[in-house]
Amino acid sequence: MEMSGAGRGKSARVRKLSFLHWPLESLKVIFQDTLGAIGLIFLVIFIVMAFLAPMVAPWGPFDVVFNPDKSVRRLLPPNPTNLLGTTNMGMDVFSQLLYGSRIALVVGFFSAIAGALLGTLVGLFSGYYGRWIDQVLMRITDIAFGIPILPFALIIISVTKPSLTIIILLIIFFLWRTTARVIRSQVLSLRERPFVWAAKAAGASDLKILFFHIGPNVLPFSFLYMAIGVSAGVMYEAALSFLGFGDPHVLSWGQMLNFAFNAGAMRNAWWWVLPPGLCLSLFVTSSFMITRAYEQMINPRLREI
Amino acid sequence: MTGLKKYILMRLISLVFVIFCILSIIFVLVKFLPGDPTAIFVDSRFSPEMIDMQKKLWGLTDPLWVQYLSYLKNMAIFDFGRSFFQIQPVREIVLEKLLNTCAMMVPSVILSVVLGTILGAVAGWKRGSKFETTMVTTSLFLRSAPSFFVGILVLMLFSYTLRWLPSGGMSPPGTAAGFWQTVFSVGFLKHLILPTIVLMSREITGPILLLRSSMLEVKGSDFLDILRAKGLSEAQIIKHATRNALLPLVTYVAVMTGLLFQGQVLLEIIFAWPGIGREIVTALKDLDYPVAQACFYLMALTILLMNFIADLLYGFIDPRITYN
Repeated sequence: MEMSGAGRGKSARVRKLSFLHWPLESLKVIFQDTLGAIGLIFLVIFIVMAFLAPMVAPWGPFDVVFNPDKSVRRLLPPNPTNLLGTTNMGMDVFSQLLYGSRIALVVGFFSAIAGALLGTLVGLFSGYYGRWIDQVLMRITDIAFGIPILPFALIIISVTKPSLTIIILLIIFFLWRTTARVIRSQVLSLRERPFVWAAKAAGASDLKILFFHIGPNVLPFSFLYMAIGVSAGVMYEAALSFLGFGDPHVLSWGQMLNFAFNAGAMRNAWWWVLPPGLCLSLFVTSSFMITRAYEQMINPRLREI
Repeated sequence: MTGLKKYILMRLISLVFVIFCILSIIFVLVKFLPGDPTAIFVDSRFSPEMIDMQKKLWGLTDPLWVQYLSYLKNMAIFDFGRSFFQIQPVREIVLEKLLNTCAMMVPSVILSVVLGTILGAVAGWKRGSKFETTMVTTSLFLRSAPSFFVGILVLMLFSYTLRWLPSGGMSPPGTAAGFWQTVFSVGFLKHLILPTIVLMSREITGPILLLRSSMLEVKGSDFLDILRAKGLSEAQIIKHATRNALLPLVTYVAVMTGLLFQGQVLLEIIFAWPGIGREIVTALKDLDYPVAQACFYLMALTILLMNFIADLLYGFIDPRITYN
């Protein structure tokens, strides 16, 4: 992770713009913004939660909790054994919550990274090469924009089996389109800049220009949409699970809400309904705060100065 | 004006092309859906001739391209055939649900836009005041909270615990009436309050944030100084400034309305509102494919139309935009 000059004092050395320059720089900026810092802290809490889940959770996500006399501990409010109470099937809510965080992170980060990557690639090629590649790729993006996400996901999941992989693929399919458009417009303006002409004059190939010269300059936007993608991905997974189209083998927070809703638990089992919902809200809100702090950095017009 | 006409034409062509592609995608998808479409009206005890006759009746023996063409034609004239489960033809079912969804959406959108504009404009005008910071922070939090969780919370509080408001449906149970009679009844209003609160809490943040940032840009304009020199009151100047700040809002509202149609699936399930979102979920669960297909088509159509209108409005309203 060579930062060649960055963070090593105020020397006037010319810094090579490595790929890692932006993420670390952006971390600094996010901490400067209060809301962004809060968001980051919560995100770290969730990551820690996810990693520690197998060690801290007293039961597995689908394990039924029994009393000493072999009766099932159903629908109990929070008590010393079950910190957050139990579900109608006798499963421990606290354990489910912890395991749910893993799903949220996996879905969020995988789909966000893949979606942003795909969108960036499409935007780069579309914006740089122009003409028919641009037309074709943009038509495809237009069609993707016209498809309503949730209904389309519902139909696809009806065709195939509900599984986490399908859901992640669906989210990627929809994250890509906004990223592609934004990256493309950035590339369109960047490719006329003198540094690109200079690189061409020096004999750089098209691919080299795309990835070594234009690429690093659109990276901030890629990261921005990646951050947006994390919250969007988690939301969609929660929505699909809540509707009953989620992966039945997997216990996400949305799935917890689905079970609670279908069991009619909203009427009295607040300990079952509130924790997953709150976690979802916190996760999405913190990602959103981070996104906003980051957006203020790359878009000077949004700065609060 | 030829630039504008050409722009509209290009957007229209693009719109038709996208609709065509989406229709084709739906056609292919539905062909892959599990379940035999003949299962509903063909019993296995029928003789092979009977089964064949039924299949011919429903056009299932036609070659694929014939099915495709007649499918396209039907979709274009909004003839969706008959439902697998319900008695009414699909078109009537889906239309009714669409109206129900609009009944939930329209009040929220109007209220959000009106209130949001005012609040946002004032927030932008009073830059740096406590009002502005409160507005921005609250808006950010409201905007990021998942709407279906807010819906569940609101239900739990106002309906189950406090028992002030009904817990679902569009009108009090037992009142079977036509759409317009329902909408203008008191029972409907009571059922409308909770969904509207939930929708508004999220949707109002858009105009607030948008108007605020737009206003911040307009505030520095020269023409405001001239108006001040003319002796206009502060309120009148705010009015003039707001008018200029409204442009981004127009396209935002158009796009937002289109997107709301699909986001409402969750709220409709929670509040048991008989809208088009809930319809597609139940149709898919019941394997009622004609209904599901029609719902999807209408949703896609609405989104595309609203985007198209947004593009048009953007072209008309801002005289500074030129086309080449």
